[in-house]
Amino acid sequence: MSIPLWAETLELLGDPDTVKVLATVDANGDPHAVVKKSLHAADDGKIHFLEILEASESSRNLTASLWFDRRVAILLFGKEGRQVQIKGKPVKYHISGHLFLDHYVKLRERLGDADLAGVWVIDPEEIIDESFSVREARHRAEHPSFIHLDRIAKPLGETGA
Amino acid sequence: MIALVKTNYRDEPCFDETLAEHPDFPRLIALKIDVQRRGVSYTERAQNAVDPEIHQLRSPYIFGSRDGEIKPLPESLLLRDGTTILTDPTPLDQDPYIVDHIDGRFALIDRGKLLETVELWPKPAYYDKTTTSGLPMSHIVTARPQRLNVFQSSFCYFWTEDQGCRFCDIVTHTKQQRKQLGVPNRLRPEDVRETVAEAIKEPGRFTNLCLTAGSVIKGPRLFDHEVDFYVELLQAIGENFRTKKFPSQLIASAFDEEQLARLYEETGLTSYTSDLEVFGEEQFDWICPGKAKWVGYREWRDRLIRAVDIFGRGNVGTGLVGGVELAKPHGFKSEKDALDSTLSEAEYLAERGVTTVYIVWVPRPGSALCGQKAPSLDYYIRLARGLQDLRVKYGLRVDFDDYRRCGNHPDSDLARLQ
Repeated sequence: MSIPLWAETLELLGDPDTVKVLATVDANGDPHAVVKKSLHAADDGKIHFLEILEASESSRNLTASLWFDRRVAILLFGKEGRQVQIKGKPVKYHISGHLFLDHYVKLRERLGDADLAGVWVIDPEEIIDESFSVREARHRAEHPSFIHLDRIAKPLGETGA
Repeated sequence: MIALVKTNYRDEPCFDETLAEHPDFPRLIALKIDVQRRGVSYTERAQNAVDPEIHQLRSPYIFGSRDGEIKPLPESLLLRDGTTILTDPTPLDQDPYIVDHIDGRFALIDRGKLLETVELWPKPAYYDKTTTSGLPMSHIVTARPQRLNVFQSSFCYFWTEDQGCRFCDIVTHTKQQRKQLGVPNRLRPEDVRETVAEAIKEPGRFTNLCLTAGSVIKGPRLFDHEVDFYVELLQAIGENFRTKKFPSQLIASAFDEEQLARLYEETGLTSYTSDLEVFGEEQFDWICPGKAKWVGYREWRDRLIRAVDIFGRGNVGTGLVGGVELAKPHGFKSEKDALDSTLSEAEYLAERGVTTVYIVWVPRPGSALCGQKAPSLDYYIRLARGLQDLRVKYGLRVDFDDYRRCGNHPDSDLARLQ
């Protein structure tokens, strides 16, 4: 189910220094991950990205995900180590119309003789804070017994041995 | 007392029941097929929501519509995955899908249930302009969401001997368009050049051009005049591009090697399609008597194969009017037999570098087979899957005739995953 993007997520999506990775699977479940700088939050509350290569593996996989109702993942890695993972579903692919044409013109103004195949729309369904400190705290709380015993051993001299 | 009983137009499983039999087939493509198969009817609310400033209304086309009328209705629909649905207004008694306008969006409705929101095709900027010769540009070159159509002439010489293809209404519709809209019989290359120049000013709007028309048997050799028309037209269009070749498809008669070489070498054409319409000699002779008389099934097929040597693998195709192989009275009696036969012949061609696509047969009022019904959705799903599987098996691409550059073939929509 669609959820709103967090303020921090919006900030990461809007920061040009954020590394943005899109992970998809193909119709046979084979994974694929690639950096997609154009991933951005759009006015409709969803995540959009510009597909430049029409026959790219990402685009094929997104089509398969849209057709068969499967999720994709986006990892945002901020400059200060903040990491957020968003899971969602591709719900629309603009290949014409105002939104497409607007991006097409702007892309070419920015990159010169570039093409734009389409604009993918991903509906966010789950946002996970993947920063290490947060993951570690969560892990410790959920699995208190997952620890090497030497880490909780008394220092030498304090034991009765 | 007389009891009024509403009979089902088609006695068949519903959409969801059919789709449940095909879990690996995309629902949106199945929906596209079914909308093409059954047609659409626009509610009054939907018609009132159409904005002629931004939505493309029906423009001159090579074939007519199921209601046999020319009305200012939307040209057609787009699904949310970018899939084009080419369909036409259909009388309500033929059980069409309903297009309504709900909460500010157009929607496909069936039996009161909203199945998908859809978009109307956006109107291209050049549709408001006229040529120097004074003709509306929308009458010269028509648009799909990403393609330009040039219907050079809507006359087919097979009709002069009453040997037109039985599913086709090209000449009936031509006369209607000429009378009601003033669409010219034959396009002037200069008008086409000028219109294409205007159309491609719109950034990001079009990805290819498609030229087609009826067959012209005249000339020193069969079809020479048809080739002349296309060469002249393609050369005029080519003046708009800085590259010799431009993404383009010609759907024409089965030309011989010399004619094909001329088209390839003297113009910017990049792909060639010649429609067999139906596979199998017996069916072809019945459904396409003109093509059978002037060329013959085997020669038509061989000419396609020879075209691969000129245009290359993946750049030559043939089109089927999917389902017409089941037309009465001489068609196959079972969908299974029809499918087996069609896919077997498609494989013969695929092995030799020719790709096969289909359109959904619409028994139009102006055609000899009017009044018949197209086969089941299940049949069309199997046909689409079968043809695409052959492309995968033989490593054939269909870039020139896919969901974007054409949009009228459910089987090549599936090539998006290839």
